[in-house]
Amino acid sequence: MAEISFNKDIRPILSNKCFFCHGPSEKSRKAKLRLDLEEEAFKEKDGFAAFVRNSLEDSEAWHRITSDDPDEVMPPPKFKKELTKAEINTIKLWIEQGATWEGHWAFMPVKETKEPKTDLSRWIRNPIDSFVMETLSKKGLHPSPETGRRTLIRRVYFDLTGLPPTPEEINDFLLDHSPNAYEKVVNRLLASDAYAERMTLVWMDASRYGDTSVFHDDGPRDMWPWRDWVLNAYKNNMPFDQFSIEQLAGDLLPNATEDQKIASGFNRNHATTDEGGVIAEEFRVEYVVDRVKTTGNVWMGLTMECAQCHDHKYDPISQEEYFQFYAFYNNNADPGMQTRRGNTAPMLEIVTPDRKKQLDDLINKQKELSSKMNARKKEANSQFAKWLKEATSNLDENKSVLEPSGLVAHLPLDDFTDNKTVDLVRETNSCQLQGKAKIVGQAKFGGGIKIEGNGFLEVKNFGNLEHNKPFSYGAWVKIPRDNFGGAIFAKMDEGNNFRGYDLWMEAGKVGLHVINKWPSNALKVVSKAKAPIKKWTHLFITYNGNGKVNGVEIYIDGKKQEKATQQDSLSQTIITDKPLRLGRRFNTAQTNGAEIDDVRFYSRALTQQEVQVLSESDPISPILAIEENNRTKAQKEVLVTHYFESKDQPYQQIFKQKKSTDKSLADLRSKKLTSMIMGDNPPNKMRKTYLLMRGQYASPDKSKEILPDTPAFLPTMKKDLPKNRLGLAKWLLDKEHPLTARVTVNRYWQTIFGRPLVATPGDFGSQGSWPTHPDLLSWLAKDFVDHGWNVKRTIKQMVMSSTYRQESTTRSEHLQKDPTNLYHARAPRFRLMGEFVRDNALAVSGLLNREFGGAGVKPYQPAGLWVEVSLSGNRRFARDKGEKLYRRSLYTYWKRSAPHPGLMAFDTPTRETCTLQRQRTNTPMQALVTLNDEQFVEASRAFAQRILKSSAKTFHDRMNWAFELATGHPADNLRKEVLEDAYKYQKEKFAAEPNRAEELLKIGEAPIDASIDANEHASWTVLASMILNLDETLNRE
Amino acid sequence: MNPLDIYQAHTRRQMIGLGARGLGALGAASLLNPSILQAATSQSNNEFSGTLPGPHFKPTAKRVIYLFLSGGPSHIDMYDYHPKMREIHGTELPDSIRNGQRITGMTSGQKSFPCVAPMFEFSRHGQNGSWFSEIIPNIASLADDITLVKSVHTEAINHDPAITAINTGSQQPGKPSMGAWLDWGMGSPNQNLPGYVVMISKGKGNAQALYDRLWGSGFLPSKHQGVKFRSAGDPVLYLSNPNGISRDMRRNMLDGIAKINRAKKMESGDLEIDARIAQYEMAYRMQTSVPELVDLKDEPQHVLDMYGKDAMKKGTFAHNCLIARRLSERGVPFVQLFHRGWDQHGNLPKQIRGQTQDIDQPAAALVKDLKQRGLLKDTIVICGGEFGRTIYSQGKLTKDNHGRDHHGRCFSMWMAGGGFKAGFEYGKTDDYAYNILENPVHVNDLNATVLRALGIDHERFTYKYLGLDQRLTGVEHPKVIPELLA
Repeated sequence: MAEISFNKDIRPILSNKCFFCHGPSEKSRKAKLRLDLEEEAFKEKDGFAAFVRNSLEDSEAWHRITSDDPDEVMPPPKFKKELTKAEINTIKLWIEQGATWEGHWAFMPVKETKEPKTDLSRWIRNPIDSFVMETLSKKGLHPSPETGRRTLIRRVYFDLTGLPPTPEEINDFLLDHSPNAYEKVVNRLLASDAYAERMTLVWMDASRYGDTSVFHDDGPRDMWPWRDWVLNAYKNNMPFDQFSIEQLAGDLLPNATEDQKIASGFNRNHATTDEGGVIAEEFRVEYVVDRVKTTGNVWMGLTMECAQCHDHKYDPISQEEYFQFYAFYNNNADPGMQTRRGNTAPMLEIVTPDRKKQLDDLINKQKELSSKMNARKKEANSQFAKWLKEATSNLDENKSVLEPSGLVAHLPLDDFTDNKTVDLVRETNSCQLQGKAKIVGQAKFGGGIKIEGNGFLEVKNFGNLEHNKPFSYGAWVKIPRDNFGGAIFAKMDEGNNFRGYDLWMEAGKVGLHVINKWPSNALKVVSKAKAPIKKWTHLFITYNGNGKVNGVEIYIDGKKQEKATQQDSLSQTIITDKPLRLGRRFNTAQTNGAEIDDVRFYSRALTQQEVQVLSESDPISPILAIEENNRTKAQKEVLVTHYFESKDQPYQQIFKQKKSTDKSLADLRSKKLTSMIMGDNPPNKMRKTYLLMRGQYASPDKSKEILPDTPAFLPTMKKDLPKNRLGLAKWLLDKEHPLTARVTVNRYWQTIFGRPLVATPGDFGSQGSWPTHPDLLSWLAKDFVDHGWNVKRTIKQMVMSSTYRQESTTRSEHLQKDPTNLYHARAPRFRLMGEFVRDNALAVSGLLNREFGGAGVKPYQPAGLWVEVSLSGNRRFARDKGEKLYRRSLYTYWKRSAPHPGLMAFDTPTRETCTLQRQRTNTPMQALVTLNDEQFVEASRAFAQRILKSSAKTFHDRMNWAFELATGHPADNLRKEVLEDAYKYQKEKFAAEPNRAEELLKIGEAPIDASIDANEHASWTVLASMILNLDETLNRE
Repeated sequence: MNPLDIYQAHTRRQMIGLGARGLGALGAASLLNPSILQAATSQSNNEFSGTLPGPHFKPTAKRVIYLFLSGGPSHIDMYDYHPKMREIHGTELPDSIRNGQRITGMTSGQKSFPCVAPMFEFSRHGQNGSWFSEIIPNIASLADDITLVKSVHTEAINHDPAITAINTGSQQPGKPSMGAWLDWGMGSPNQNLPGYVVMISKGKGNAQALYDRLWGSGFLPSKHQGVKFRSAGDPVLYLSNPNGISRDMRRNMLDGIAKINRAKKMESGDLEIDARIAQYEMAYRMQTSVPELVDLKDEPQHVLDMYGKDAMKKGTFAHNCLIARRLSERGVPFVQLFHRGWDQHGNLPKQIRGQTQDIDQPAAALVKDLKQRGLLKDTIVICGGEFGRTIYSQGKLTKDNHGRDHHGRCFSMWMAGGGFKAGFEYGKTDDYAYNILENPVHVNDLNATVLRALGIDHERFTYKYLGLDQRLTGVEHPKVIPELLA
């Protein structure tokens, strides 16, 4: 009679079939019976106990599960969770054997596990082997012999780096007879960039990494600096506890470095939305939920997310505990409504040392030139005074109508320091050029700006116009093309129903929005005529504050326009926190290509005559017309600037240099790179957490504030830990945490052996799988923690084991006793990950570009895949060229709503959510990719060229070399014969129709060696393609 | 899948597969989906070739064609007509009707919610006298063939969550689509074509985005994801041989590859290699079966005429409908058409006319064509979108123009064939087509009912992932609506 183990045999049955009504969830509990706690399961109530040790007769549960009465039988038929006969029998045996109870194994502390003693001590290289051997013996299995060196080196190359060894590397290994020859290879691989890439790829799945935002428009974002942080962390073997803490809470570490802040971007990788109609809070809650789920799955193998709407049905996590955990994440400062254009704050600008130096140099040069300019002004002051006198006396009285009153802001956009420019009225330097917008030296009057690459100019602390007060505004504008549209400037919050106002263009016409809530409480009106293009044009709006379109006038070059009204009802405030920006609204409606100069705001509705004067005036005359003593300091400054910039030659020379420096600096700044990071709300704006009833964002239970805490069934947080994300991270990475190390080493095992020890890497709860090697898992976990969470050490231990080094050949003993190789009586043999299938082809063909890190790249993919699904067809794929086509596949730009189809065919997850285990399928689509995809055809062509240009000259030598490249082994006779037959056949075909070779060889961008005969090259391309499609090429053996 | 399942699957494959004709000769097979072999060895109607051994109930349908109108087609302007709408036109939506309903960020700030009657004529059709709009005269002519449900509802009020919810049972990404579930569970009787095919067309209206997840496989093996049949380039991605490689040259390549793979199998003992050989063969067959399928030259003129002027124009809804019929004829269990452009926030009268012109004749032709070929009895045609639209105008209501915002509280869909009742109307809404008065059908109820027609008990149709018995119909308590089934 088999010995029944509670955790292995009984708990899974109880969990799957009984816990739903008799488990941790209080709300769904029936008959007040709990079967997840020992005390309750054996407790006598009203003369009955569910289980009585050694007595079927007295065990009420036994009667219930075996009853024929549909009203009595458990589980009730309507649950559709009938127990199988085998399950009933297992329960019977367990009761008869004394019904031993154990706590759930994964929630118990990791105990010291002794390495078992085994018979075959010669085979044991390290403790892993002892544990494996012990299980093999129990199952009546025997380990396989060590695999050949060629197979071994190819295997360890793929497992540690995802790339194949070169023939030279194979040869070195074959010739190295030292006892530690293999260890040397392993050490070299662990130190390589490729190792970091291989490990990072796995982490990218777990951390739902993508280059786009997923929801709605699925627009671009830049999170690759975070991805590069991970690469470097693996490369430098950062201990897993530090690796984790920095990713969960790097921003909260004392004196957090830039790198630590970037690391915290782990929890900004989740999907975000930009959909116009969403209720922001609903999505903000979703983001928090995702962070809880991902943290739970990745570090603890817990399905915390099941307790969002109700108590967890299987694991001891109440809904309240869920929200305690949620509270750790509930104060990140990112909003529910994010953007379809890049990153959303909190984010960090990434400044490399190189970049920093360039910036500093330019800023210094700028300062130097500014002081030279000032010096010249002082030096030539008398010339200026002379000019001023003449100019004032020459002033044409008719043209110099006084500056209209009520000017509240005036941006001449002439002089920039450090990308900042002045508002003459407020005399502050608070206008800052951002992104790719640039300074233009010659605009309408002196300098101006040009909007490019979604850049803009931001004006701080100005612009709170109101719906019921008059105002006027406008600017000189040069628009680049017909039917131009967007916001010349705006102070508007798109996220709050477009509250605010703008100077608006659509289809070349000029107008404005004044909005409380779009479209219900808003004015919108545009001119019927279009503004001229490619010339400086004065655009101006006046508004009398009456809340109606009839209170608005639109002027183009001083001429009042006929208007077309689109919305005409405004009765409430238009004030928003969002700053005034030139060249866009807050985030949208960019006017790339527009040039802007001389922006003015007035606190009254100017008359037609006044607007006309503005449209005709130069900037100097109105100032000259003011009595000298009444001129403001800033107005005086305009006169000085005007004189020196237009009349003084020595000054003009310096000024020219300054402009060009400004431009260089602006250009450099526009290439700004950011990465999203975590960042909590300021202490005075901390959000309170409440339990959300039924998990609904709109149903907080405000009767009780929920404070951050960890679930009670796990060790409590140490007293000195702060109750924030940093405290949470440290708690997770505490040596005593029962789950973190177990869950982590289980994933490493999966990485190296192709399958984890616990088949459910994301669920170590009671619904999870029983480990195939429980003691080994414990030992690995403890060993990992005891050695400082040293990742490379643990990985190395695995690949150094005899278990790892076995042959992968399936023998009849295996088919009978362990067909799926749960117990490692042989090495696993499995298809390479999709990324490695492609990387292998690139490596073998010699095309692979080994550049490490950096932004995602867009290699070959069939045309039209983005546009056919994108919002209004606005996202189009633009393929990269040259070296970027040949980067390792982990760098492939990951658009999560339409990911690269070649990789998707090979089970790469979309990465919209956390994935801890990939499927490994075998489909006809995969065959089509490796046979027909441009990338693979080109690789075959390059591979053929490489073979034909190698030192191997005979067919046989060439075959050996080609096979060695692709599979690690030279070709045997059978393979040579098959390929020689194919060669003859294909060559004949190409010879018969010469166009064929030409067409085939044209595929792909890589240069072709014209010295090779086309038919020969084409025939070998076919052979190369065949080799790349062999099972032995596609598999790790 | 837990190790034990894999073990069982494996041994079953050995028993069935190797015992029959030898694995290599069979169609698709892999470690994770062994039961395809089962189908190949048994032609019984009572068995599936997917992971489910067979239906839980006697099925009334074997396949589905899902005409998905993406963007939120207005139920008010097409189906859900109440004569009273003419009277309430221009009046404010009463609070008693809105009843605290949350509305999207696009109109939540609107001060006024003027009701808008459809700017189209409606008339009654069929034995049942169901209302249909003048803009869908051909669909109206199906009145006696379809079940029209006017009480479908969803919690979601925005496109991304709503379209994800109706297609995968959950508003959040990560779950498999309905087609993927069925491909996994039922498999396909056709070994030369994918079991789940997706086709996309676009109208002139405002086009919302689609996402691979809508036909994705979520946590199921990726082989079950929908295969897009495309109108430009290869009909299936990567289908064509590279330029310069002819079919016989490809045959020669595959023969060589198979020889070496067979040798490898002997050397390694790895049975999975048989599956790889089989997949390469299926890929080869698809290279002819797909072009043959999408080539309409053997369709007689009168059939083309049924589907309308666009029938021969690739990438149109009409063309896709015709291909859908051809797929169903060949046994493909799940075909899904996405027609884009149904998001009429503004300019509704004109845009919806254009949209319905795209779909009205072809959708009706598809049902009639299936019927005349005897396929409708076991093919379900479903037509609808992710939600409906509001009775009130978004933006300004003028004499001849208005928009409508999203509305998930009730919307209309219709089903034809495959055991759904013919000439039947279900569910009733108020005069504002705003709230359901009778017989609500949640989107997950609808999916559960479709599964029921296919013989599947949605509660037993589960896949264990992250601790839960995951199912298409979600964790709430969806129910089959038996009234919809004959």
